[in-house]
Amino acid sequence: MARPGPKEQRYDRQLRLWGDHGQEALESAHVCVINATATGTEILKNLVLPGIGSFTIVDGNQVSGEDVGNNFFLQKSHIGQNRAQSATELLQELNGDVSGNFVEESPEKLLDNDPSFFNRFNLVVATQLPESTLLRLAEVLWNSNIPLLVCRTYGLVGYMRVVIKEHTVVESHPDNMLEDLRLDKPFPELIEHVQDYDLERMDKKDHSHTPWIVIVAKYLTKWFSEKSEQLPKNYKEKEAFKELIRQGILKNDNGTPEDEENFEEAIKNVNTALNRTEIPRGIEELFNDDCCLKLTEQSSSFWILVRALKEFVANEGQGSLPVRGTIPDMMADSNKFIKLQNVYREKAKKDTAAVGSHAAKLLQSLGKAPESVSERELKLFCSNAAFLHVVRCRSLAEEHSPNSCSRDAIISHMDNPDSEIVLYLMLRAVNRFYKQHGRYPGVYNYQVEDDIGKLKSCLTGFLQEHGLSVAVKDDYVHEFCRYGAAEPHAVAAFMGGAAAQEVIKVITGQFFLQYLQFCKYFGVLPLTGLFCSVLLAN
Amino acid sequence: MAAALSGPLRPELAQAVSQARVLVVGAGGIGCELLKNLVLTGFSSIYVIDLDTIDVSNLNRQFLFQKKHVGRSKSQVAKESVLQFCPEANIIAYHDSIMNPDYNVEFFRQFTLVMNALDNRAARNHVNRMCLAADIPLIESGTAGYLGQVTVIKKGVTECYECQPKPTQKTFPGCTIRNTPSEPIHCIVWAKYLFNQLFGEEDADQEVSPDRADPEAAWEPAEAEARALASNEDGEIKRVSTKEWAKSTGYDPVKLFTKLFKDDIRYLLTMDKLWRKRKPPVPLDWAEVQKQEQNIPDQQNESSAVLKDQQVLNVRSYADLFSKSVKTLSLHLAEKADGEALIWDKDDPSAMDFVTAAANLRMHVFGMNMKSRFDIKSMAGNIIPAIATTNAVIAGLIVLEGLKILSGKIDQCRTIFLNKQPNPRKKLLVPCALDPPNPNCYVCASKPEVTVKLNTHKVTVLTLQDKILKEKFAMVAPDVQIEDGKGTILISSEEGETEANNHRKLSDFGIRNGTRLQADDFLQDYTLLINVLHSEDLEKDVEFEVVGDTPERIGPKPSEPTSRNISNGSDDGAQPSTSTAPEQEDVVIVDSEDEGTSSNAEDVESRSRKRKLEKGCECAGAKRSRAEQEQDQDDLMIVESEDEGAASSLGEEESRSHKRKLEEKGCECIRAKSMC
Ligand SMILES: [Zn+2]
Repeated sequence: MARPGPKEQRYDRQLRLWGDHGQEALESAHVCVINATATGTEILKNLVLPGIGSFTIVDGNQVSGEDVGNNFFLQKSHIGQNRAQSATELLQELNGDVSGNFVEESPEKLLDNDPSFFNRFNLVVATQLPESTLLRLAEVLWNSNIPLLVCRTYGLVGYMRVVIKEHTVVESHPDNMLEDLRLDKPFPELIEHVQDYDLERMDKKDHSHTPWIVIVAKYLTKWFSEKSEQLPKNYKEKEAFKELIRQGILKNDNGTPEDEENFEEAIKNVNTALNRTEIPRGIEELFNDDCCLKLTEQSSSFWILVRALKEFVANEGQGSLPVRGTIPDMMADSNKFIKLQNVYREKAKKDTAAVGSHAAKLLQSLGKAPESVSERELKLFCSNAAFLHVVRCRSLAEEHSPNSCSRDAIISHMDNPDSEIVLYLMLRAVNRFYKQHGRYPGVYNYQVEDDIGKLKSCLTGFLQEHGLSVAVKDDYVHEFCRYGAAEPHAVAAFMGGAAAQEVIKVITGQFFLQYLQFCKYFGVLPLTGLFCSVLLAN
Repeated sequence: MAAALSGPLRPELAQAVSQARVLVVGAGGIGCELLKNLVLTGFSSIYVIDLDTIDVSNLNRQFLFQKKHVGRSKSQVAKESVLQFCPEANIIAYHDSIMNPDYNVEFFRQFTLVMNALDNRAARNHVNRMCLAADIPLIESGTAGYLGQVTVIKKGVTECYECQPKPTQKTFPGCTIRNTPSEPIHCIVWAKYLFNQLFGEEDADQEVSPDRADPEAAWEPAEAEARALASNEDGEIKRVSTKEWAKSTGYDPVKLFTKLFKDDIRYLLTMDKLWRKRKPPVPLDWAEVQKQEQNIPDQQNESSAVLKDQQVLNVRSYADLFSKSVKTLSLHLAEKADGEALIWDKDDPSAMDFVTAAANLRMHVFGMNMKSRFDIKSMAGNIIPAIATTNAVIAGLIVLEGLKILSGKIDQCRTIFLNKQPNPRKKLLVPCALDPPNPNCYVCASKPEVTVKLNTHKVTVLTLQDKILKEKFAMVAPDVQIEDGKGTILISSEEGETEANNHRKLSDFGIRNGTRLQADDFLQDYTLLINVLHSEDLEKDVEFEVVGDTPERIGPKPSEPTSRNISNGSDDGAQPSTSTAPEQEDVVIVDSEDEGTSSNAEDVESRSRKRKLEKGCECAGAKRSRAEQEQDQDDLMIVESEDEGAASSLGEEESRSHKRKLEEKGCECIRAKSMC
């Protein structure tokens, strides 16, 4: 009966992070990975294990001895065969629920002959691609609105960048989530419920089992009538308010206060409970976003719901978002707790329904079916209304254009010794090297010395072209030459974990994205960690 | 293979790698990734040890295992799988506990590097000591959900795993479990005890029947007999063990149900003092319950079996589940050889069904709202979410730290924290310099010494051995001698030599305030000097205290909200205040899920409240502990810093229930977070 099936057992540990709807999104996604390099297969491994719906590897290369040396999913017997096919075979074995596909074709060819090929995917991961191919691919995907994750392992440096026109997050799982209790702006049902309590006339047991939310609400009324028309704001006022509550604790025959934990709880919660109910700035911004103001037939349900939310706030909500409908645990007997909980829950339902009816009207006016927004989606949206989040990235083309390359930001980052922006500049320099020489620097040991000079001039050329007057230490040039564009497994494995995590975030629509990051392990400088910035992405 | 390395790895390093002999302790989530990374980085002599066998729930991340391997040895299958992919790899696998005396200091000395990929603190403590004794560098690591950590331990250079004291495991007063549960976790712990009482190893510390010695009830002795009669079967049950009694009924589910949820509850009701301020429990009658309709799982959600596990059923359904699981488990028990017992395992469906049913019925009796199987499993199994991606990141970092050690750059090693989700300015990885050893560490100091406060008239030799030396100080086989000038041997690790001392009090051996005891663990090559501080005013239920230690906290780890484990630092909790802020065990955390500054204050308060609660409850009985705390910190980590609730996001739901004193609210999803 309540026994979980094999799938739930298999995925138990991750369902506890992204829930079954996150899992469903994952299971219905189709991801394309370009190049079955070590980085590519490590990413795939971390997507196949948690149960991605299907994957397709695009790779025109044949398996080489070097591949077998750093790629767990390629074996000696595969040498000479197509890399996409060989890797698919072994990756598929990891999880029978996943459908694995491969295309024995180079991405360049596909872009030439059938760019619409990429439209079938929910997301494309590009690993170890030359810059020119990457830019072409990025443009195609950008125009079709398909998220791209660029991932690269270059020696001991890792690089990752999400390219996504717009990504909307309902469940952002914020770090700081205060309760939504509306004690500063009690809604009529709450006022009525609180009025049902008469603390003066209760027996001892009921008194000590009254939920703290009711206590605070009661004493706020008292505060307004006796002390001030304003909520207690500063420390002094809050202390005074706490004292007011403290005086309400029952006293025994000797006049000493009883041990009433619920009152203690009320006092303890004063600080957070009196938070003002307001619309977070980020949500206000969404309300004023063009996507919200100018709905079209193409508008996503996210934006239709944002608009419905805005209309709710302007009407039924009287300036506030829908009530979230949950309350924290507290001292109380079952009966009182459940009644209070129902007050919030019912109000949340009512608010959600109101948002829903705005949404229905909007859908109708756009000529869309009312079912295009499901009950579940609506509910999830309303309960997360304060935490909605929209990510917009710059296109790769914009980032690469000398006219729009975030010059000032790069320069100011170079001043920060902790910044790893220099790694980004070096990666751009090796790309330039590739363009000029048809290979990466240092790939042949005997050329390392020669290549140092060449890479240096590529770097200088790049910096000049982009008007970047920054100094890059020679050490970096040497280090990057020494890397010889190798893809050490440990770094690829690390990148495989980090990149797959981003893919899962994009697909499930949960959690904040990383945008862009570099990592560097050791070499010229002590390990510095991972750089992450919106600088180049936004 | 070498081709890929010649670029980024300098030739000397590539050579050091191929010549190194490394030990991987644990072949779970991190272990599997690590084995792969080591082989493909060019390590050619790899030893791996793991005691565990493969479970279905491992398959979402432990990629060397497949369905067909379930039940087999992790280390063995891991080796086979790696060999299948990389036939030239050289791996030696042990299906064994690293704490087995065969793996002595000599064994450890043969390695260049030891890497922990463990899931429990006892083994981590032990490997820490073995590596200190053998002077071999150790890379310690762990993950929990999205969080992870890697650190390096080197004798005399860095902190050891035990340099910062970690609070010991939490416990519940016996009378809370037996008489006055107020939170779901109390009922879940009770249900797990009940499992052991009925089907597992009986443990005197895991009583489940009403505790009439509950001082809070403090009735007149004269009345006691009359009260005892109120429960018609009680007298009989007392004389034989619960298991014997259950056996005598042929594990009749209805009889068990009636005793546990009706007669025992009626008996509790006669202790009326307990119910003056509390809501009294309501006994359940089997026949009445059977009149209820059975729950039909929500048809709407038929499509997703996951949801079924997350539904809360009604009392009738749990009564039936109880009956069904008792039958199944008693059959399992009957299949065992005489004297053998079942072992509770959250991943054994019948065992989990039993605990779900028994805990829910008890919650219902005590007026709490019942919980879904999914949630109960989290709490009972102390489940820490685990995903492939985090393990991959951490295992990659372990190798990179290992390469630094092999290239002689231990000064460049770092403790690295993996964050959950950085806001734009935060980094995903936060490296921190390694701290030097704590000169007062009771493990790695040159002459380790501690002061233990205890009552020499009450503490027995056995308690000293099991609770203080083994449990608290993580020794495996201690020998103890009294520094009384005569070198009296109090405890010998040789079997049969000092067992006669076990139940005698320390004072019987002349141990008093100021006595010094020398405890040795031969295997760990570890000697600890213990100064006895005699005290008669320890809190009730506290048998000893280590002076200068972090006070023990009451309550189960999993129910401590995650938020708290996280660093107590700044508002956005970005920086790991880690090394100095011991918080949650095993995890590492850096990013804050903290609910703002308030929660720290709240934490302190709830802590003190809990303590107060414990104090108020003057149970004579021993503390309950251990068993329910066996972590499943799969792949979990550790490293000092935190001790609190390794459970990260899943903590949410439980944490709330923890706060709730009188009862529980329905388990419906509260936050967008984790499940729901
Ligand atoms: Zn130490």
